[in-house]
Amino acid sequence: MSRDMPIEALVALRGISKSFGGVRAVDDVSLNLYPGEVVALLGHNGAGKSTLMKLLAGAYPVDAGELRIAGRPVRISDPAAAQALGIETIHQTLALADNLDAVANLFLGREMRTRFGLLDEFGMERAAREVFKRLNPNFRNLAVPVRSLSGGQRQVVAISRAVHFNARVLIMDEPCAALGPQETQMVHDLVRRLKAQGVGIFLITHDMTDVFALSDRLAVMKNGRTVGVYRTGDLNEDQVLAMIIAGKQPAGIAQTVETT
Amino acid sequence: MACVLLVMALVFHALTGNFLTPENLYNIAQQTAVVGIVSTAMALVIVARQIDLSVGSVLGLVGVLIAFLMYTKGWHWLPASLAGLAVALVVALYQGWLTAVLGVPSFVVTLGGLMSFRGAAFLVADGKTQPVSDATFLLFGGGLDGSLGPLWSWLLGLALSALLVWKVWALRRSAAVHGALIRPLALDLGLAAAAVAVLLGFVATMNAYVLADKGAGQGVPVPVLIWAGVVMSVSFLVRRTRFGRYVYAIGGNPEAARLAGIPVKRVLLQLFALLALLITVAAVVAVSRLNAGTNSLGTGMELYVIAAAVIGGVALSGGSGSVLGSVLGALVIQFLDSGLLLVDVAIGWRMVIIGQVLIVAVVFDVLYRRASGERLE
Repeated sequence: MSRDMPIEALVALRGISKSFGGVRAVDDVSLNLYPGEVVALLGHNGAGKSTLMKLLAGAYPVDAGELRIAGRPVRISDPAAAQALGIETIHQTLALADNLDAVANLFLGREMRTRFGLLDEFGMERAAREVFKRLNPNFRNLAVPVRSLSGGQRQVVAISRAVHFNARVLIMDEPCAALGPQETQMVHDLVRRLKAQGVGIFLITHDMTDVFALSDRLAVMKNGRTVGVYRTGDLNEDQVLAMIIAGKQPAGIAQTVETT
Repeated sequence: MACVLLVMALVFHALTGNFLTPENLYNIAQQTAVVGIVSTAMALVIVARQIDLSVGSVLGLVGVLIAFLMYTKGWHWLPASLAGLAVALVVALYQGWLTAVLGVPSFVVTLGGLMSFRGAAFLVADGKTQPVSDATFLLFGGGLDGSLGPLWSWLLGLALSALLVWKVWALRRSAAVHGALIRPLALDLGLAAAAVAVLLGFVATMNAYVLADKGAGQGVPVPVLIWAGVVMSVSFLVRRTRFGRYVYAIGGNPEAARLAGIPVKRVLLQLFALLALLITVAAVVAVSRLNAGTNSLGTGMELYVIAAAVIGGVALSGGSGSVLGSVLGALVIQFLDSGLLLVDVAIGWRMVIIGQVLIVAVVFDVLYRRASGERLE
């Protein structure tokens, strides 16, 4: 656990900035993520939290700032580079190819191949069946296009990508936004299990229940900048909402250090 | 789709009495090959949410260039064809770069190409027709000599049938080994039997076409052989390689494909290169069929190629459609064109009808997708 221990950050963001046209979507943000830690990212729509995470996932290049993974400075130029560093992302849109089946989506971009370099359909199907069984024993629709699956099942497919490829860092962008209670519980269980395995998780959410149930620390963003980074246990819901809505830091509570 | 073909054949035969004859079917088969070869790749281009309107013009440019190098420059047909391929690839890289890297819509890029490359086809030989007489080269076009003959046709038909049955069996076996779902045996057997029947029936029909002064049956024409080889190769790419999977993923959701780490730009460039290769193959067949390269070769062909893909079930919104569908689509158009010609429908009405059939096919596609609950963009 991160609390006051001199261990190395898994992800260290230092002075990260990103502009689109004239708009500074992310402005000089510094933030750490430690192994086995869940950091909640909060803020209004357009506060810059999704953009910040997309920079880490390789969806956009960073304009300025330094990115370190396990102490090593890295440049993440595209999504494949992020995957190679063990960074998996569950996007808010799920980012599934709706016309392909669950197995194809699980392995999309990283297909298993036979010794002739051809697609190893059977190998992928077997591996996929194992992953899906672990996530949801009722999941059987492996061979139909994912467009015909329910929201919860589509979420399982998106999550399976992170689980199968052994993420070191997991980015979850509103993973429970469209889910029923049972599926939300599944996501919560999964987060706890991955956390216990030492995976570092960035959790973007609007749901205060998720924040207090899952996160160790939270970072609030407004207009592309961080309002503050705190231990979740040091705050109550009103103080968090005041930060999100007014950008007001709670009096007398220490922030965590994000600069070393 | 196969039923549509069958119904069309029976209706035209009832109307004319000579649609389902070996001679007519032989001619239809080789006439369809040029469009069919290009539309296998066009199907994939449309699946990936792109379009290429310049295929007819590029085919004209490449065809006249090959003929020019052979006739005016005295080149052997092989280096001449490779030079044609090189030009087609340069065109593909140029248009693909504008589309995939710069992000200019392929509709606009290739609309410009439709004009420019037709002009370039004129420039190659100053608009003069380039006759071709190399006997080996002319075999690619079929005609009277360019066919396999009865013996080789039967051997090929039997070999392909055996391959098909073996594939079905091997697939069932490895599905069993890996504990995957196995389709009902009756279904697999029925499909395999139908495919073998079509294959051998086709060979028998081609062999039944006997020219008066030759004595022996014609057998499978070379253009059809090339087309079949192209269809099998492209199907293989689609089903067994990452390239094929990525083409469909890009068509299904380009942003998801990018976020999953697929090199979208490279895949699109490869796709345009594949199209260029098949345009060159089709150009060789077309020039050989005509015995000449002219600057008007392939005029209007883009419409037939795109129509074949769309009638064959490729959705213009991307992500769905198949190579085999493009084969059936190309045949539907050719059946219609030849059938109406035999019924003595004037060229004006033929164009009116074929255009509306294209729309009917798309309307059916839209209605089917709506009924099956697919989201429409």
